[in-house]
Amino acid sequence: MVIQKEKKSCGQVVEEWKEFVWNPRTHQFMGRTGTSWAFILLFYLVFYGFLTAMFSLTMWVMLQTVSDHTPKYQDRLATPGLMIRPKTENLDVIVNVSDTESWDQHVQKLNKFLDPYNDSIQAQKNDVCRPGRYYEQPDNGVLNYPKRACQFNRTQLGNCSGIGDPTHYGYSTGQPCVFIKMNRVINFYAGANQSMNVTCVGKKPHHHKNKGKLIPEDGRDEDAENLGHFVMFPANGNIDLMYFPYYGKKFHVNYTQPLVAVKFLNVTPNVEVNVECRINAANIATDDERDKFAGRVAFKLRINKT
Amino acid sequence: MVGGFSILLWVGAFLCWIAYGIQYSSDKSASLNNVYLGSVLVLVVILTGVFAYYQEAKSTNIMSSFNNMIPQQAVVIRDSEKKTIPAEQLVVGDIVEVKGGDQIPADVRVLSSQGCRVDNSSLTGESEPQPRSSEFTHENPLETKNICFYSTTCLEGTVTGMVINTGDRTIIGHIASLASGVGNEKTPIAIEIEHFVHIVAGVAVSIGILFFIIAVSLKYRVLDSVIFLIGIIVANVPEGLLGTVTVTLSLTAKRMAKKNCLVKNLEAVETLGSTSIICSDKTGTLTQNRMTVAHLWFDNQIFVADTSEDHSNQVFDQSSSTWASLSKIITLCNRAEFKPGQENVPIMKKAVIGDASEAALLKFSEVILGDVMEIRKRNRKVVEIPFNSTNKFQLSIHETDDPHDKRFLMVMKGAPERILEKCSTIMINGEEHPLDESTAKTFHTAYMELGGLGERVLGFCHLYLPADEFPETYSFDIDAMNFPTSNLCFVGLLSMIDPPRSTVPDAVTKCRSAGIKVIMVTGDHPITAKAIAKSVGIISANSETVEDIAHRLNIPVEQVNQRDAKATVVTGMELNDMSLEQLDEILANYQEIVFARTSPQQKLIIVEGCQRQDAVVAVTGDGVNDSPALKKADIGIAMGIAGSDAAKNAADMVLLDDNFASIVTGVEEGRLIFDNLKKTIAYTLTKNIAELCPFLIYIIAGLPLPIGTITILFIDLGTDIIPSIALAYEKAESDIMNRKPRHKKKDRLVNKQLAVYSYLHIGLMQALGAFLVYFTVYAQEGFLPHTLINLRVEWENDNVNDLEDHYGQEWTRYQREYLEWTGYTAFFVGILVQQIADLIIRKTRRNSIFQQGLFRNKVIWVGIASQIIIGLILSYGLGSVTALSFTMLRAQYWFVAVPHAILIWVYDEVRKLFIRLYPGSWWDKNMYY
Repeated sequence: MVIQKEKKSCGQVVEEWKEFVWNPRTHQFMGRTGTSWAFILLFYLVFYGFLTAMFSLTMWVMLQTVSDHTPKYQDRLATPGLMIRPKTENLDVIVNVSDTESWDQHVQKLNKFLDPYNDSIQAQKNDVCRPGRYYEQPDNGVLNYPKRACQFNRTQLGNCSGIGDPTHYGYSTGQPCVFIKMNRVINFYAGANQSMNVTCVGKKPHHHKNKGKLIPEDGRDEDAENLGHFVMFPANGNIDLMYFPYYGKKFHVNYTQPLVAVKFLNVTPNVEVNVECRINAANIATDDERDKFAGRVAFKLRINKT
Repeated sequence: MVGGFSILLWVGAFLCWIAYGIQYSSDKSASLNNVYLGSVLVLVVILTGVFAYYQEAKSTNIMSSFNNMIPQQAVVIRDSEKKTIPAEQLVVGDIVEVKGGDQIPADVRVLSSQGCRVDNSSLTGESEPQPRSSEFTHENPLETKNICFYSTTCLEGTVTGMVINTGDRTIIGHIASLASGVGNEKTPIAIEIEHFVHIVAGVAVSIGILFFIIAVSLKYRVLDSVIFLIGIIVANVPEGLLGTVTVTLSLTAKRMAKKNCLVKNLEAVETLGSTSIICSDKTGTLTQNRMTVAHLWFDNQIFVADTSEDHSNQVFDQSSSTWASLSKIITLCNRAEFKPGQENVPIMKKAVIGDASEAALLKFSEVILGDVMEIRKRNRKVVEIPFNSTNKFQLSIHETDDPHDKRFLMVMKGAPERILEKCSTIMINGEEHPLDESTAKTFHTAYMELGGLGERVLGFCHLYLPADEFPETYSFDIDAMNFPTSNLCFVGLLSMIDPPRSTVPDAVTKCRSAGIKVIMVTGDHPITAKAIAKSVGIISANSETVEDIAHRLNIPVEQVNQRDAKATVVTGMELNDMSLEQLDEILANYQEIVFARTSPQQKLIIVEGCQRQDAVVAVTGDGVNDSPALKKADIGIAMGIAGSDAAKNAADMVLLDDNFASIVTGVEEGRLIFDNLKKTIAYTLTKNIAELCPFLIYIIAGLPLPIGTITILFIDLGTDIIPSIALAYEKAESDIMNRKPRHKKKDRLVNKQLAVYSYLHIGLMQALGAFLVYFTVYAQEGFLPHTLINLRVEWENDNVNDLEDHYGQEWTRYQREYLEWTGYTAFFVGILVQQIADLIIRKTRRNSIFQQGLFRNKVIWVGIASQIIIGLILSYGLGSVTALSFTMLRAQYWFVAVPHAILIWVYDEVRKLFIRLYPGSWWDKNMYY
């Protein structure tokens, strides 16, 4: 049997390629003549133009179903999450007391974060509201009526307000303030008309690995011991109902998110302490297995002293 | 068949594991997703492989059952005892006994025989039974009379012989090893699939590498880039396709088996469809494989007998008293008998003891006259001389059934010229006329004419012996010949032929309109071959051979212009003297070719000649000696009934009814499957773009990932499988038997148009539609499209748990992740909905869907239903299984992509409309795949 597959030499291959790129005989560039290229380019111009138009049209139609002020669905946000400030890369607040640079960035961030809370700005922009009840502002027939916000004054944060504070929120003395904030969710009536507060404990986070292996309730929890004492501002870590509901950034322009500051007074130095803060509110579940930040926040605290 | 893709998938799997390894070394709690993905990919490869193997094995099993049906036994004399042992235990020197009906268990030299005749047709192609005796007659083992060959059959008599060769060393064994030595080349469909795999793998690898480079230069970490690469590979490789192709082929194979084509090698299903030349046997394939009376000549007139399969319609004039005499001779001068116990079998199907011509005469008279045995009983046979090759006639003397007529009737039949010599009178219209010059001349004209039709002619005569010379008590002596055998009365001629099957002419016409050349290759005599070729249309009515033209114009053959002749008959002898170039020339220049008197070895030469013309050649054969040609052919077709096991083994296909017409239905199915595979592949390739774009957009624009790798696998191996198989049930768009066979090198399964149209037209539309669903889900949850751009890094950061959306709301990582899965599900549903439209448009390539009928292929709707049901189960049934990244999707999102689906349908209808309106135009050339 003759094997009919003849091997092409390298030169032949190059030659074939050359001819493919430009065939002088037929005036074909890449297998097509000039007119053919013109045709095909024109076709794709028109075709893709049409597709773009079609896609834009359907997108436009879709966007008509979306209001600019409130989201269509909020099913994912039934439980607001909690977060801390200063915001760090790995949710850890590490302070080397002697090393100014290690905490200066936190301080800068906090300064910037707390600027809008300055009493002067609050007084200028926001209302004084009645505590203990929701600050509802119905549209009353006027569509998308701009909403007012309640004052949250920086001074409410007491020792953590950082106003005239030589210790820089306690970072320079190893008694740092960490700020807890609850995620904004539009039209969410947090607390279901009952008062709510934030509490913190020292606690190892539940890893997947010791799932099912219960930490003994009465057992010694190192983290709790290492955490030591802390104070909260406002007192008891209360969050007032008047800051709810949130109406969305479009017309709740000056909305000021309520904060809870936690000042850790005597954290055991040179060890990593796991802290978990959670909100105690009637309508916020804090035991979601999958979402570790639903109604709670876990972070690490480490004070290095020499 | 799996090669290309599985390598890509293996690469993907290893990249997955490497990625996990790197992740694990830097972070012990790295998620196991990549490990799962890698394992799934490997599982896909293995399952596809096992599946293809299983399908192949299933069809191969059918064949092996043929072989093992009867373990061959041999009677051997060992230790002066007769023993029955399995044939494979024979050794050289064994003395074996074989009796009529047995297979010869090895190559045997005859020691003694009694009236032994063997059927060597499977070995040498001789259809006549060959006598065997102990005498050495020829140097060539194939010619000498004292050797019986392994696997041939002893028809009658008994033979005792010594084993001289066993197993592979037998003549048959040599041929079989010759067959296995012939390289089995790749089937056309395997080449096409390989070509397609190259295209897809090329696209996958080049896009993968391109975007790997882009990702790296966009400052993505190498690990992330590797993960993108995996996504791109997974998106590009149609994981389910090879399995689908296998299923599609085996479905067609099943359908063909119902039409009496048993396909051994799945890929051969399509090969039959691309066949451009069929080299067909004559005996049994084109013809009925039984001698049948075709013409009669008496009263100076030729009558035509009905040769159709049931003989029902005999219309010639039976009133003449010459016919009465002739029919009496036919009935009486005949030793053939029906085998007992066949009362309910139609006459033409009854088995007969006796040789082929006698059987033909027996059946012929039985059909016309009724119970032949009864007639013979009434005309008791007194004495007879059986036919032998020296005297070339057969004679018998009977009492008559007329009780008043005491004369004996002597009837005789034989070679016409020998019979005529013995006659002095001829019967015309029942009266005896002296045989003179002019009547002799009319006899010769008739004889030549019938002979020219390729028929075997027999002459019939009789004589009433005068009662005074031969009284009732007269004792006839055959050896002394004490009765006259000359001055008889000539009655008529009968000619017989193995007539073509009634379905064959139609099938040949079909082949012709399908652009398939039918070449007859036979060991038979050229005249017979040509006559049959003419009657079935292999040589069409108005075409002439060179000899015909010479005869018509009355000029010597050499003066005829070769170009004027469309047909030619080439004998084996001529073929022997030909160079390969001359053979090529004949094959290229003549449309209608008959090879006669060819040896099996020449068949191989003819097949190779055809293949040199770039033709896809189908060859039919039944004998062992055909097996090299069957193996060499692109598709070897063995006869199921007449075929030997060796032929069946070498063939790719077995015709269960030995009927040529079945080949044509096979061709039709083969062509259909090629078209339908095209549709399946187009359908499958389309969504690749919709699966690929998300990764590209994700890398370039930094959107949250629109669709996950696992989700892609659920499309490729879940929702899309049944629909793509369903396309195999699609009916042909037009008469596929009216177009030329596809050109092996030009008409590819996956051509540029198909790839471009699937990828850049429909695929892109689909991607846009799926993105629409994705954007809708995100927008309605609060992330409007513009907020998504370059959001990727923050979005995927586990420590950002207050990511702000368009409305100022803040999202934790898990909330975002869940939304991302909803996005996957949405994108999945978007593709799914548009794949329904894609499935519908792929039903046809040229015709409108409404011409084809939306509901004619019910399986398509089963496919659509399966798609939707699997989609629903994944979204709503498994919505809570997070590992699969599916979530419950709001019902309305199922309809978001519908406008795009409708657009796809409309666009494709427009495409088809222009193709139909302007055939051959720029549009047709660029848009028809």
